[in-house]
Parts: sequence; C-alpha cells; structure tokens
Amino acid sequence: MTPDPDVAQAAIEYCYDQGWSDGLPLVPASRPLVDAFLATTTRPPEEVIGRNVQVDRECTVELAAINAAMAGCRPEYFPVVLAAWEALIRDRAAGGGGWQSTSGPAPLIVVNGPVRARLGFNCGVGVFGPGFRPNATVARAIGLIVRNVYGIVPQVLEQATQGLPGRWSICVGENEEESPWPPLAVDAGLPEDTSAVSAMLLRTCEFVDNRHTQDPEQVLWDLADTISRTGSLIFRDTSAGVVFGPEHAGLLAKSGYRRADVQSWLVEHCGRTRADLRRAGKNGVGENNVRYADAATDRDEEFERILPSPQHVPVIVAGSRNAAMSMVVRVFGLWSGQAVAVQLPDM
Amino acid sequence: MVNPILDPTGGAARVREDVLLATPRARLQGATIGLLENTKQNASLFLDELGKLLVDRYGAVGVVARTKQAFALPVPDDLLEELATTCQAVVTGVGDCGSCSGSAVADGVAFERRGIPAAVICSDAFTVTADAMAVVKGAKGYRYATTAHPVAVLTPDQVRTRAEQALPQVVALLTGGAIGGGG
Repeated sequence: MTPDPDVAQAAIEYCYDQGWSDGLPLVPASRPLVDAFLATTTRPPEEVIGRNVQVDRECTVELAAINAAMAGCRPEYFPVVLAAWEALIRDRAAGGGGWQSTSGPAPLIVVNGPVRARLGFNCGVGVFGPGFRPNATVARAIGLIVRNVYGIVPQVLEQATQGLPGRWSICVGENEEESPWPPLAVDAGLPEDTSAVSAMLLRTCEFVDNRHTQDPEQVLWDLADTISRTGSLIFRDTSAGVVFGPEHAGLLAKSGYRRADVQSWLVEHCGRTRADLRRAGKNGVGENNVRYADAATDRDEEFERILPSPQHVPVIVAGSRNAAMSMVVRVFGLWSGQAVAVQLPDM
Repeated sequence: MVNPILDPTGGAARVREDVLLATPRARLQGATIGLLENTKQNASLFLDELGKLLVDRYGAVGVVARTKQAFALPVPDDLLEELATTCQAVVTGVGDCGSCSGSAVADGVAFERRGIPAAVICSDAFTVTADAMAVVKGAKGYRYATTAHPVAVLTPDQVRTRAEQALPQVVALLTGGAIGGGG
C-alpha cells in the first residue's frame, strides 16, 4: 500500500499557503525528520551560522535543517548544505546584497571529495541537471534558506530584473576521476581526499562547443571569445569561470597546461579593444569603477584585459567526456578562492 | 498523534517599537548637511547638487560629503557617528538597485534613531523594496524622496535637473516629517 496521497497533498498545500515555497512542492518538515538532519552534525541547533545585517535576520543550524528537509534533501546531505552555506557566507557578493540584487545571481556549488560518491552527487553526464537528488536539493536548500530565514522574497526584498534560469539549482560534483588537474578544493588549499564545497554566484552560463580541433590554443581562443563579450562588463573588470568538460581539460593537460596555465592564458587574452568597448558604450571607467560611454576615440586601438587575476577565472572540471564542450560561467563579483570542508559524521 | 509541520522562517521578524523620528526636525538655516552617497552611478553628483541647493536657497552653511563604500550594507557605525556629530541633517542615496534601495532606507531610519533628520532618495522602480525594508526596520510607512528610474544613465545636466526636482521633497522630509500620518 502506498502512503496516503490525500494527506500528502494537504500538507503540501499547507506549505504553499504559508508562503514558504519557491514555487515547487515542499516536503513538509516534521520534528522527527528535522531531528534526523540535526543528528548528522555535532553543531548545536541554536548555533548561528549566518547573519544578514541588512534585514536583521539570523540563520541557525535548526532553521537550515528545516529548510533542507523541505527542499527534499535526505538527512545525510545536511553536512553538505552546511558547508555550501559556509562557502557562500565567504562570498563577498552574497554577503554584500547579492540575494537582493537586480542581477538575480545563482549560486554555483561545487562538491569535491569522497562525499560525492557516498551521497550520489552527479559529476558526469548532465552535470548541470536535472535528475539527481543531491545536486538538485542541496542547491534548492540554499534558496529556501534565503527566502524563508532571511525573508528575501521575490518582488519584495528580492528585485531580480529578469533573474536567470537555474537559480537555486546549480550544484555540480567535480569530475575528479576524469580531470587531469587537482580537485578545486585541493587547489584552494585543503588536503587531498577532503570532502569539500566551493561556491560562487553566477550571472549566467554559456556553452562553448568545440570538438573538431586538437589544438589546445584554438579551444582557448574559442573560450576567450565567449568570455570577452561586452555584455557582462559593468565595472572595469569582470570574472568568468570555465567548467571544463573532461575532453577539453584532457586536451589542454596533454599539451602541458596546468590549471594555473589556463588561468594565466585567459587573463592574458580575454578582453576587447577600446574601439569595441566604445561601440558598446563601455569604454569609460569612472572613479567608482563603473563603465560608461565616453566619446573619446584617441586610445581606440588599445586592448583592455578584463580578467585581472586567476581568482577572476575559477577553473573546474565537470560533465562527461562524450563530447568536447565546456561551460563559461559568469561570476558575479569575485570567487573567494576558498573551499569549505564538509564535516561528515562517522558512518 | 499527528506531527506538526515545522516553520522554516524562524517566526515573525523582530519589530522595533521605539520612537522613530528625530525631533525636532531640522532647521536648514545655518545647518551643516551630511551627504552620504553610496557609489551608485550619479549618486555623488545628485547629492552634491542637492547640497548646493540647500546652501544656496535654504541658508545651509556647508556640507560634509561622505561615501558609503558597500552600497548594500548598513552605514558603518563610525561614519554614522561622524555625520551625526558634525551635521544637523543628512541626505542619503541614491537607492537605485535591489539591495541599495532598501539599504538607503535602513540608513535613513538609523540616522533618525540617532536623532538626525534624514532624507533618503530612491528611484521609483524600487519603492516596493524601500517600503519592505522600512517594515523590516520597524518603521512602517517611512517616507523618502523618489526620483524617476533610471538614474545611472543620466547626463550631468539631467542629474542637476533631477536634484532640482527632488529638492522640495527633501526639504519637506528634513524639516517636516519622514513618517506617514504627518508625524
């Protein structure tokens, strides 16, 4: 016999009526369910794990657990939710008004280490989703915390002009097994084989499909062309990461490119001439670092680089090796460069 | 025995009930005006123009112009204290984005609670956020000056025109009341 669908539907509708939902059905959280979440961490339920000074609200471990349960997480995912939340706390843009921003940025959550296999995070085919419960629900849990605990609700305190497809649903496991480079978390300073989460805010993603060359520089130029669009330039500089498919990463590594070499290459080659920027009304840079339309044409020939440092170019490997594609991810603000270890209970 | 469904919000927001508005309101003649701009495009010029108009037409003696570097965050305590001790009224803005509109209102409320009459300027695309933040800060109905959206794209001359247009609202807020119900 199946569980009673009428009771389930009534509970789901109750949650909608309270205004707690992001639009999709929530799992109604009961005390026993939330206690199972809390049992996966040694942190006390009342511990404050986030404070939003703009709206005078605090997030506790208990509230995070309730929202993670409602998002559809299994209790054992909760340590990953806590690490993802901590990683976002360290993101300057997320703390600095990102949740309320007109840009409506989406967290990109990257999971490293043994926890990926243990909990079943997708790292390969279709890594940006949908179809995988850990990836889908950990990202959703973050969105529910922002909505319910901080009270940052769309069309009220959240003012995304258009928002973007995939907000609260982008969580990828790094494909460490098919990556030629160390895990992102290891490059961020954590020991090997650490289960860890990195996070940054994205303004959008765009694919680069390049499967008919064996020349690594041609792949890099193709990526640079996408990264160098004028549309994302608001300030003097911008940030753009690359989630490399394993095939592109492998091609680059075979030619001797380490992660840092890829970052340096992109820093060096991504940008536009001032004439291009002028045509788009973005050649001037004010004292507040904001670009504006400047009529001056005297430096038109000059090439302006737009990615000032490797921290502006996070490089991740995820997806399948079944085609040579990569994803340019436009980072809102600046990646913290940090990874947060997942505090796993003994199992 | 049925388990209740748990509340993911942590309950109702804390609402402050203390006196909101600075009293008495500002007397502009002889006053020093604090200008707190938030780095948004044209905010600095907008406030500078308002400062000049308050000096030229209302007898203010000068301005103290400061920048809030993190437009989404509350005004830092030391900056609030500096303006509160050197100025008799403060103009702040421009709330021209999702986070900075609410933040500007929150700053206005903070100055009022510190005893300094304040005039907040928001673009009219963000009144929902501004009003919602007033509620969050326990200041439901808080009034602020509005200017038409967008502000960032305006030329310097257009900004000066906007400042001129906003002037009566700013003066009314500083010298009259900044809360609903004529308070």
